[in-house]
Amino acid sequence: MTIIAETTSTAPPAIAAKKASDKTLWLLLPGVLWMLLFLVVPMLMMVYVSFWTQTTFKISPILTVQSWVTFFTSETYLSALWTTVRIWLIVLVATLLVGYPAALYVGLFVRNKTVQTALLVLCVIPFWTSFLIRVLAWRPMLGKEGAINLILQALGVIDTPIEVLLFSELSVIIGMTQIYCVFMVGPIAFMMGRIDQSVIEAAQDMGAGFWRIFRTIILPLTMPGVVVGAIFVSVMVLGEFATAAALSGRKVNLLGNIIVTQVGSLKWAFAAVVGVVLTILMGIVVAALLRIVDLRKAL
Amino acid sequence: MNSSGTKFALGVYTGLFLVFLYAPMVVLGILSFQTGPEGGPQFPIIEWSTYWYQHLFGFTPPSRIAPLPINEALFRSLALSVMTMIVSTVLGVSSAQAFRRKFKGSGVAFYLIVLGMMVPGVLVGLGMALVANVLGIDRHWWGTAFVLHVVYTYPFAFLVMLAILNRFDPSVEEAAWSLGVSPIKTFRKITFPLIFPGVLSAMLFAFTLSYDEFSRTLFASGRDLTLPLAIYGTFSVEVHPNVFAFGVLTTIFSFALLGVYAALMTLSIRRAKRIAIQEEA
Repeated sequence: MTIIAETTSTAPPAIAAKKASDKTLWLLLPGVLWMLLFLVVPMLMMVYVSFWTQTTFKISPILTVQSWVTFFTSETYLSALWTTVRIWLIVLVATLLVGYPAALYVGLFVRNKTVQTALLVLCVIPFWTSFLIRVLAWRPMLGKEGAINLILQALGVIDTPIEVLLFSELSVIIGMTQIYCVFMVGPIAFMMGRIDQSVIEAAQDMGAGFWRIFRTIILPLTMPGVVVGAIFVSVMVLGEFATAAALSGRKVNLLGNIIVTQVGSLKWAFAAVVGVVLTILMGIVVAALLRIVDLRKAL
Repeated sequence: MNSSGTKFALGVYTGLFLVFLYAPMVVLGILSFQTGPEGGPQFPIIEWSTYWYQHLFGFTPPSRIAPLPINEALFRSLALSVMTMIVSTVLGVSSAQAFRRKFKGSGVAFYLIVLGMMVPGVLVGLGMALVANVLGIDRHWWGTAFVLHVVYTYPFAFLVMLAILNRFDPSVEEAAWSLGVSPIKTFRKITFPLIFPGVLSAMLFAFTLSYDEFSRTLFASGRDLTLPLAIYGTFSVEVHPNVFAFGVLTTIFSFALLGVYAALMTLSIRRAKRIAIQEEA
């Protein structure tokens, strides 16, 4: 062992550097290969298959743009694209509006570290239940004889149950907002925690009110958190299909639902087209969000 | 910050926020004690009973309601999660180690790895199903679905390890090397114990993410169901409170898992402290 150590230490720097980069290569290679084979190749295959010829139950590798033409001339597909964009935007805004005040409270007003951690853990606990069951849990909440209607009726707020709560676009939005808002709260609360308290105190000493402090200090400093949260929420909502399947009663069709249906009926080429469209949409959204804030600088 | 009016209002808001987070789960927990087999998945509770819990384990007399196909699905899900956990943690630790040195193309490699957690499950699932179709490979939970689970969980393990290694003091390792300890032994005896809490977190991440994953699994797993797929199957048919009872049980299982993690974490921190004290003495 000592001999090896000595040779290493006396070796010329060039050889030592080469050895080091060899080591880096071998440490990195398995992971990179895994991602290339099982992530990049499938995505490229999707692009390729989207140009295959689709007959009723078969696809053949004869290249055509027929599936693409079908997508952009079909009412169903285009409306699914529009629904996906609409629901994504609504859920994004909703998670921000619902989550930001909670993050503000936990990150800035709770000074006791233990209480702060406890509150954050409390937000994460629901994640220990299966995602699909959390989605299903909204059914007995929103239904005609669901908890919300029962409580509102008992309080005398409404006479007849609100039917639009379940099996509608609204139920999908409510469900998604609850399931994804924590991904917004986390990053924002993290950025809140990093704000230097003395900056706020200085502003207060100069006589700035809460809103002014919020607008000029807190909001700009937490923007990176908002962007990270927005990326999380966007990526997850855009790829969604389960919440719509469980809570909309087949009334809301997202691009994800279309893919599931097409795969179910072995229309692989159509599914691939929808997949590529969804990928492009997601790429645009994430790229746009990353333009707002330089993440590597912020974190 | 001390503007008490705002603080109070925000405190109340946060309370409501927590109610919003928990209410569906509470309702689900209550309804899991609905009477069976005629009681439905909605209010009111006709009579409190543990019928649906017994139904899950097949202790009830046969009725028109089919039991959830969870026996084998549970085994498959656990096996899949353990496999995913091991492979993605090993990959995560080794690539995070690689990133401790600056190298050409590190930006590309970084984004390639992180892409795995960014691409929606439906898309990778579809892509993998297409690859399997074209190559004529059979899809299985332990094959095509497994590699996708690693694609998903490995970035998380990698980021956790990267954060841990960023805070790691390399002079300890250098001291060991200069004393003539071989790199492998240094890693085993010094680096690994120091990063062990991070490794545990990475494992926990990978296990739970994989255990709950279904959008990738849906297209890639072929005929045999995993646990989330069995639950997904109930979406298209009538929902009975047995799914709710199952939800309560899986939540309890998750807490048990979290307990094991907390215990291991405490032990490893305590051991690290003991070693530190011994060295000082």
